[in-house]
Amino acid sequence: MGFAPTDETITIDQLTRDPYSVYRRLRAEAPVVTVKSIGRTLLTKAADTRAVKDNAALFSNNDPNTPMQRAFQAHTLMRKDGEEHMRERMAMTPTFSPANLKNLWIPAYEKLAGEYLDRLPRDEVVDLFPALAGPLAARILAIILGIPDATDEEMQYWSQALIDGAGNFGYADEPFARVDACHAAMNAMVESRVPLLKAEPDQSALSVMINAEDPIPFSQVLANLKIAIGGGINEPRDSLLTVLYGLLTNPDQLDEIKRTGNWSGAFEEGLRWVAPIQASSRCANEDTQIRGVDIRKGEIIMTVQASANHDEELFEDGHLYNALRPKTSHQSFGSGPHHCMGTHLARATIGRIMLPMIFERFPDMELVEPEKVVWWGFGFRGPLSLPVRLN
Amino acid sequence: MPKITFVSPDGSRTTVEASDGDSVMQTALANGVEGIVAECGGAMMCATCHVYVDEDWKSAVGEASGDEGAMLDFAASEVRPESRLSCQIAVTDDLDGLVVHLPDAQI
Repeated sequence: MGFAPTDETITIDQLTRDPYSVYRRLRAEAPVVTVKSIGRTLLTKAADTRAVKDNAALFSNNDPNTPMQRAFQAHTLMRKDGEEHMRERMAMTPTFSPANLKNLWIPAYEKLAGEYLDRLPRDEVVDLFPALAGPLAARILAIILGIPDATDEEMQYWSQALIDGAGNFGYADEPFARVDACHAAMNAMVESRVPLLKAEPDQSALSVMINAEDPIPFSQVLANLKIAIGGGINEPRDSLLTVLYGLLTNPDQLDEIKRTGNWSGAFEEGLRWVAPIQASSRCANEDTQIRGVDIRKGEIIMTVQASANHDEELFEDGHLYNALRPKTSHQSFGSGPHHCMGTHLARATIGRIMLPMIFERFPDMELVEPEKVVWWGFGFRGPLSLPVRLN
Repeated sequence: MPKITFVSPDGSRTTVEASDGDSVMQTALANGVEGIVAECGGAMMCATCHVYVDEDWKSAVGEASGDEGAMLDFAASEVRPESRLSCQIAVTDDLDGLVVHLPDAQI
């Protein structure tokens, strides 16, 4: 059948503004296609994205030609495979154990959620992106990582700098300079906590990593924390805003969810509808085939889970938010050895705590001019604002 | 090749052949058995391949390990003594004829 066809028309700008119409066409016409502007081969069908991620032996996470290593000042576990990846991942895993979630992080989130909701002004228009979703995601993450002295603003600023640096495919100077300055601040923050956590260990990620019997090198402790900072704020933030948008623009569905209490279903559907992480890279270790298309050793594949989640073979009207959809099995947390470490935390905190809590406090919350909400992003995606009136 | 039967919550039974060395989870996915999500693909990170091992097979399959038991706390359906993550059950000839019951929900 030969190699993947090359599409020279799709632009990064198009994928940033309106990726779903592009993916719909690709699923129908060219589900394995090399997109010239991205320089990668995109997979847009659910069966293919899943098969690639589940076959870590054939498809490596090490996409060598990205600005990520430069931005993170490290080769991080996100780009590692096999034993090396597992060792660095497992170093942080105890923090996210079911027992810690249940006894520490979920109760902490519940208390914080109440406090952050208390601060919101009533009877005026408030944008939930900067007023709730961003800072709350930053706060709980700072606590779980073991750097509670980092402010909400710092956490969000660092996170965005890491994301912008990792996405700086044009290798412009400014994003790298900005993230370099953040590294200095993050390193200082982390290092200031080390003696304290050595003396009084807790279950935070930093503490668990430095107090382990056979600890990973401190450079990788830092890298792990930065991966969590870079990846642990925008996803909970964007998924919360996305679900709220979905429910508030479908009041009949919201009424039904209030009646049944199936907030988890509403959350999963939001993740399916607009995946906060839309696409991931993998590198073929050997010559192989996907859907009959030849893939060369070394070819960089992008699994587009955003598109997989709209695949007509699995979902009817996948482009619509439908909290009452019978089956919402999606790929937004990824799969395989790199499956999202925050999955359970996200499901418990946003799905089971925040959603029922916010609608209980503000049962008549209304979205102000939903048509003006701008959705943005190719690699990461979410609404840029969510103006509501709370009452 | 060993045969495995998956019993849905509605009682319907699906019997499939497993490849030696595959897990029960991989066998389900390879044969399109509905009701096993296996979001993490066998990394024991997600608890979405939860099954109830049939009474007759409990001793042959064995109990969940400590880590597996902890992860089962995240299962969406009720956890019982016969609960296992099917990614952690390797199929061998000894398990030919194994019967597992699927829970109501995995997520």
